[in-house]
Amino acid sequence: MGKQATEMLKGVLEGIVLAILGRQSAYGYEITAWLRDQGFTDIAEGTVYALLVRVEQRGLVDVEKVPSEKGPPRKVYTLNSQGRAHLDEFWGQWGLLVDRVESLHRPGATSAGATSAGATSAGASSAGTNATEDTAQEGTHHGR
Amino acid sequence: MAAEWIEKLTGSFEDKKRYRNYRARVEALPTAYGDSVKALERYLTYAGAISAGDTLVQMLDDLAVLFEEAAANSTPLRDVTGENPAEFAEDFLANYSDGQWINKERMRLNSAIAKAAGEAGSS
Repeated sequence: MGKQATEMLKGVLEGIVLAILGRQSAYGYEITAWLRDQGFTDIAEGTVYALLVRVEQRGLVDVEKVPSEKGPPRKVYTLNSQGRAHLDEFWGQWGLLVDRVESLHRPGATSAGATSAGATSAGASSAGTNATEDTAQEGTHHGR
Repeated sequence: MAAEWIEKLTGSFEDKKRYRNYRARVEALPTAYGDSVKALERYLTYAGAISAGDTLVQMLDDLAVLFEEAAANSTPLRDVTGENPAEFAEDFLANYSDGQWINKERMRLNSAIAKAAGEAGSS
């Protein structure tokens, strides 16, 4: 996994971890192990741990301490209702981001095309007008 | 009663007890893990400049738990810290920014700009 992939993943790691916990409760190292199985090999266990400390501080997960044979008691993390609401919000934002970035990626897409796609999803008529102006300006640039 | 004003002079007894406990746990770790915790503590203390004693002790406690778990599971050191331990340290430190000395200045800056922008509730 390259540097770029790692940087990209950082921004969405919290959502990914909440999504994993939404399926079932897990220990910290189980989450790291799952991520590694999925090919996110550069993710440090410490990074996941720091993230779990954060979501716990923010009250998005419930934590149960389970005694372990060796080492300190293990923390089992479970997504709570506040975490679930946060995860729903994450999926909403994720969907918007994917739509917008993909619209730039489409073959033959111009910046004007991307703007009008964004305006359509936002459903704002004034933004639509701006998009038309952008298209006109784009035409001028190409003409030069 | 007496403990209250003494603690004002010496800092919290409870924090000191937790700190001593933390030191003992670090000493009990296998050398490689213990050395890593000490190196991280040094960095976190310098870079963090955490002035709140309870936040500092909580941070070190959380740090020790991570390495105790790693030692118990025989997780290789590099799997814990990643290729760039300083980056991990920054990620980790971000959780305790409320206790940082600089946090007062962050809030002062934000409220000064809010006041300059004429926003409500910024008097």
